[in-house]
Amino acid sequence: MRKNSISEFELENQVFKIKMKRGTNGGGAAVSSEDTPVLTYVQPQMAAPPAISASVPAPSNELEIKSPMIGTFYRAPSPESAPYVEIGTEVHPETVVCIIEAMKVMNEIKAEAKGVVTQVMIENAKPVEFGQPLFKIRPN
Amino acid sequence: MFEKVLVANRGEIAVRIIRACKELNIRTVAIYSEADANSMHVQLADEAICIGKAAASESYLRIDRIVSAAEITDVDAIHPGYGFLAENAHFADVCESCNIRFIGPNSRAMNALEDKAVSRALAKKAGVPTPPGSEGVVENEQDALTVAKRIGYPVMIKAVAGGGGRGMRVAHNDISLVKGFHTARSEAEKAFGNSGVYIEKFIENPHHVEFQILGDNRGHIIHLGERDCSIQRRNQKVVEESPSPLIDNKFKKLREKMGKAAIKIAEEANYTNAGTVEFIVDNNGNFYFLEMNKRIQVEHPITEEVTGIDLVRYQIMLAMGEPLRHSQSDIQFKGHAIECRINAEDPFDDFRPSPGRIEMYYQPGGRGVRVDSHAYAGYTIPSAYDSMIGKLITYGKDRREAMDKMSRALSEYMITGIKTTISFQQAILQDPNFRRGVYSTTFIEQLLSGARRELIEEKA
Repeated sequence: MRKNSISEFELENQVFKIKMKRGTNGGGAAVSSEDTPVLTYVQPQMAAPPAISASVPAPSNELEIKSPMIGTFYRAPSPESAPYVEIGTEVHPETVVCIIEAMKVMNEIKAEAKGVVTQVMIENAKPVEFGQPLFKIRPN
Repeated sequence: MFEKVLVANRGEIAVRIIRACKELNIRTVAIYSEADANSMHVQLADEAICIGKAAASESYLRIDRIVSAAEITDVDAIHPGYGFLAENAHFADVCESCNIRFIGPNSRAMNALEDKAVSRALAKKAGVPTPPGSEGVVENEQDALTVAKRIGYPVMIKAVAGGGGRGMRVAHNDISLVKGFHTARSEAEKAFGNSGVYIEKFIENPHHVEFQILGDNRGHIIHLGERDCSIQRRNQKVVEESPSPLIDNKFKKLREKMGKAAIKIAEEANYTNAGTVEFIVDNNGNFYFLEMNKRIQVEHPITEEVTGIDLVRYQIMLAMGEPLRHSQSDIQFKGHAIECRINAEDPFDDFRPSPGRIEMYYQPGGRGVRVDSHAYAGYTIPSAYDSMIGKLITYGKDRREAMDKMSRALSEYMITGIKTTISFQQAILQDPNFRRGVYSTTFIEQLLSGARRELIEEKA
């Protein structure tokens, strides 16, 4: 998922510093440039923009588990439970690796691969889009 | 006021909607398939969510994914554009039940006009003329023959669920009627999942004239004049203009009559937001209701130029619950506007689609020239969707000026790397009958067959 942000420069003066962030696609900022540089809503930088290729291919023999749907990513079946998988967890094709919640329905996502989890790519409770990489697996 | 809107579409109309939102200070969310990752609407929106693979059935038609995307981005409303889910009453219902406003007509109005047979019945109820024809669906060939005898040949057999010019057959006698009845039914079943057909009098050399409608949630409905869309190729519009030269030159009184009829249809359906009532007009100035399109249309810009009213902005305001700000008498028509659809097709190879990478792109400009397009140099047109890459609109103080500007603008429009219909559009603009404003829906067929004849004669 990608969000535009706004121009980045640091304006230093004796009283205060204003910092505005610029987006990676070079789009113009929707900032009012009338008087002083406005204290504008700074957006958190999101995950890599869709850009030219869908995602950077995993190095060597690692493969990625990609999101088959749009929703909110959860690492555990409930807030009190332990995460389904951690780095180093062995998975099989039927292993549930996470939940993606869409429209109030909790969907269990299966690994569909055999190997070891080497990376968890999304933070808990963050939104994910179709095709977004969720985990890296080293097959065995 | 909406704070955030999700645009459930792609291409030029998604760009159009994003522009209207930006001008209203509304943040935008684009949805896109994997094939559209580099599309302009994705670049322009504030946020973008990938919703699936290239095929529309895997992405732009996926109600579940679109609503999920709307939920995680927490939008207030969805604009469906045209095509895809724009006239899908179920989608409108799902949005509303998820507390997301649907920027378009209410689902009841959509259902009141859900197919052509139902719409015909509604028009009759509203006292608006429809082409003589069957009462509803024609069940068997005996009934078909009875209807044809009553209204007289030639007749047209039409699929009730048809669209985009498909599912139609003309019959000139009993034999072709029976044959056409059965083939139309099986075609319709295959293409639309609904074999229902009805029969209408076939009006020869018809003119296609449609009226733009706006309605608020207090029951007020106005029309914004007509668009003449008779220049079609295989029932797909190619050039549109407003006002209609047929009305201006021959049947001036039709504007008021047809405008009133359009409003009656919309009122009968309790219509809200933007819509278009389509009519056919014969050479004697008789008009008949065809169908109502329950969405913003491709050719909406020409109405915007002639009335000075931003239709997409109006859609958003109406969806927010605002009342219409114009009464019918407030609507003024000034000047003349023409639109040419620019398709990635090869006019010299039977309009074969020409997807691929645009190398060089220079769009025309200057006074009275408007381009609504998502194309840019380096953009690769995906093969998964329709071939329209943009719309060129010109506006002048009269038809002559609008035409001169269109020819001038077409001559400047440079797109390399793919084939486009720009040269074909120029041929239309230069045609003497077009310039005189004398044409019907047979225009392009005649233009093309004349062109072929010349080619053959040249080669002989």
